[in-house]
Amino acid sequence: MALLEIDSLTVRFGGLVAVDNFSMRVEKGEIHSLIGPNGAGKTTVFNAITRVVKIHSGTIVLDGVELTHVAPHRVVSYGVARTFQNVVVFKYLTVLENFYVGYHHRIVGGLLKDLIPTKRRLIENYDMYREALKLADFLGLKSRLLSYAGSIPYFHQKLVEIGRALMAKPKLLLLDEPAAGLNEAETKQLVNIVRRIREEMGITVLLIEHDMRVVMDISDVVTVMDFGKKISEGKPEEVRKDPKVISAYLGEINSA
Amino acid sequence: MLELKNVTVSYGPVVAVKNVSLKVEKSSITTILGANGSGKTSLLHAIVGLNKIVSGEILFEGERIDKFEAHEIVRRGLILCPDNRMVFQKMTVLENLQAGAYLRRDDLSKDFEFVFTLFPKLKERLKQKAGTLSGGERQMLAIARALMAKPKLLMLDEPSTGLAPNLVTEIMRAIKRINESGVTILLVEQSAYAALKISHYGYVLQTGRLVMEGPSERLIRDSSVVESYLGGR
Amino acid sequence: MFLNRLILGLSTGSFYSLAAMGIVLIFKVTGLMNFAYGNMAMFMAYVTYTFVSLGLGAWSALVLTLLVSMLFGYAVERFTLRPLRKLSHGSMLIVTFGILMILEGLATQIWGTQYKSLPELIAGRPLIFRGDFGIVVFRRQDLLLFAVLVTVSFLVFLLYRFTKVGIAMRAVSENEKAAQLMGIDPNKVISWCWMVGTAIGTMVAVLGAPRTYVSPTMMIYYQIQGFTAAVLGGFDSLLGALCGGLVLGVIENLIGGYISNELKTTLSLAIIVGILLVRPQGLFGSEEIRRV
Ligand SMILES: Nc1ncnc2c1ncn2[C@@H]1O[C@H](COP(=O)(O)OP(=O)(O)OP(=O)(O)O)[C@@H](O)[C@H]1O
Ligand SMILES: Nc1ncnc2c1ncn2[C@@H]1O[C@H](COP(=O)(O)OP(=O)(O)O)[C@@H](O)[C@H]1O
Ligand SMILES: [Mg+2]
Ligand SMILES: [Mg+2]
Repeated sequence: MALLEIDSLTVRFGGLVAVDNFSMRVEKGEIHSLIGPNGAGKTTVFNAITRVVKIHSGTIVLDGVELTHVAPHRVVSYGVARTFQNVVVFKYLTVLENFYVGYHHRIVGGLLKDLIPTKRRLIENYDMYREALKLADFLGLKSRLLSYAGSIPYFHQKLVEIGRALMAKPKLLLLDEPAAGLNEAETKQLVNIVRRIREEMGITVLLIEHDMRVVMDISDVVTVMDFGKKISEGKPEEVRKDPKVISAYLGEINSA
Repeated sequence: MLELKNVTVSYGPVVAVKNVSLKVEKSSITTILGANGSGKTSLLHAIVGLNKIVSGEILFEGERIDKFEAHEIVRRGLILCPDNRMVFQKMTVLENLQAGAYLRRDDLSKDFEFVFTLFPKLKERLKQKAGTLSGGERQMLAIARALMAKPKLLMLDEPSTGLAPNLVTEIMRAIKRINESGVTILLVEQSAYAALKISHYGYVLQTGRLVMEGPSERLIRDSSVVESYLGGR
Repeated sequence: MFLNRLILGLSTGSFYSLAAMGIVLIFKVTGLMNFAYGNMAMFMAYVTYTFVSLGLGAWSALVLTLLVSMLFGYAVERFTLRPLRKLSHGSMLIVTFGILMILEGLATQIWGTQYKSLPELIAGRPLIFRGDFGIVVFRRQDLLLFAVLVTVSFLVFLLYRFTKVGIAMRAVSENEKAAQLMGIDPNKVISWCWMVGTAIGTMVAVLGAPRTYVSPTMMIYYQIQGFTAAVLGGFDSLLGALCGGLVLGVIENLIGGYISNELKTTLSLAIIVGILLVRPQGLFGSEEIRRV
């Protein structure tokens, strides 16, 4: 069974149909890319999965559980975590604290319990700390843990965002244009990290990206959208040769 | 047309640009390359007056501009296209474009036509609030807004970020076309290869210092540039 | 009788609306809550009084005062607030407090503590309509007030929506740096807002003076209610300020008429707290348009 199943999803903004009867499935353990022209509706699909936009019709099922009517702040506890197109880190929190934010939903109980140092709380805090250290190590952010997230280089901020998402221990990780604004070397590091997220943590990854080198390099499957609809899907090599994709998205230079 | 002499920019104790001297010749496309955090944006903001420089001089068409406020510099035809977070989110696409043409008194219809042929998508969205545009659409708007100002010198801060591959190609072509119509261009880009291909002269910035410069054809072939900025494209 | 109460409410509300619009205009563009707003207007009412006592007609005195008030608004911003603008927002708030107190003292010094009166701009018998709905009374002053409110709102709306100055105001209010990149001078825009805002406040003071008399404390209530109306309207919306003021005026008068005159302020504030609990962004406040 697929991990994520989107069936006939439609999202509208006023008269504009941003996602139009769109279906796709993401298999467990896949790195799956979602590409398409600007304004095709890719981010809106992410927003629908994480429930921050209103779904007009259609269903979204994650690991057999329907997400369609789940409240936005609860989605993460169903196993979906994401990063944003414009880097969203808490600038005035340290990297470590940013990571803690991602852990939030895994803590049982409310504020009151939070204030009372029960044994369980102490263990939880310890677990949280250990996990943050592990991730910082994984992402190469160890030396930055106590810096304010707003003060570190852009690439590292992006990694903080990914780290925060991973702290939630998701089944599915959604990455929105992780390579945008990165240079060559950073892009390579990022590709490497995404691979290891799948290999070492066993997390399924769905990513939106305009950098074709990244997409062609790491995807098992690529889905192409245009005007809210799916126009092509398949292995990277197949999609790259699809005339529809070339004319709508790649343009002549990249098709060579 | 634009000359920087020993310019230093800092944010409190953080020195972002150190002692940079460079020249942008009239009617040329000059490009500045550099990793993230190397100070490219800080430099552009200093040129246009959004950051005050700590030391050095900036001359535009022979006149010292480093003591001026940003809006006074813009009046002289030196326009910055900043990153796409700086579009006016609460205004519509049309109002953003009108804001871009704020200083103009002449007829705008040609300019509207030009930006709409470049980005037909914007024409369909004239009444949409810029805050609800997709990332790429906002980038298009930022570029279009800068063009509406009819710049003499246009500085672009990573214009291709977030744009689809076919649009990146198109943007690069458009920049070349704009340049051929007489506008001098200072281009900052992450995709170094594409930038060098259309530009005449290039500088490489590393942690706030200029470490290399030369005609673009030479930089493209230079092995150290290829290694650190062009990758295996 | 209900209709007459309503008219009375709308007329009081018009004062609140105007006051709120001036407050919001300045707040929206400069981000500053101008505590001196009411007293600046009060001071201008004294200026009108002086003009009138020098023998000027009420109308010419008003026009002249409006011009003076624009200069006054300009000067206050230019010389007391601008030097602090890039340094400390907190200090700016304190400066507006300081001006509030200075003006009160100064007014007492110059004009004394005795209340002064200003003539109505138009006088005459009220207009009375009879019909199935009963008897409805319009005072001429109310008609003038409505006319002023409509005209001012309409002009501000046109200015804000359709002119270059309006685009500049909105640009500065949203992102000052980006506005500068368009060649917009933020200082100039801020000056404009202070001039227009102060003139609107002055209008409230001069139109209200025949009811309240000219005194150092004449504007306190209008400022508070203007502020409340602004909050009710969402604080960043001029249309909100307009409607917030009218709603507030009507609620207040209906409560005063049907429940208790003593409780009208308390109860109307309670209602507003209630409204805000349901709609925290106010009647017209823009829900943060941010998407991810
Ligand atoms: N809240 C909204 N109100 C109105 N239109 C919206 C809203 N959100 C998105 N849209 C429109 O829906 C379309 C799809 O937007 P979306 O952000 O999903 O595009 P995208 O595929 O992620 O594009 P990009 O690659 O440029 O980021 C766009 O045309 C956008 O302008
Ligand atoms: N507003 C700011 N406050 C403090 N430091 C900043 C600010 N903006 C940039 N910097 C720092 O200045 C350096 C150069 O950044 P930037 O000019 O944005 O580089 P680039 O555009 O080349 O990525 C970085 O070290 C960055 O962290
Ligand atoms: Mg997107
Ligand atoms: Mg930059």
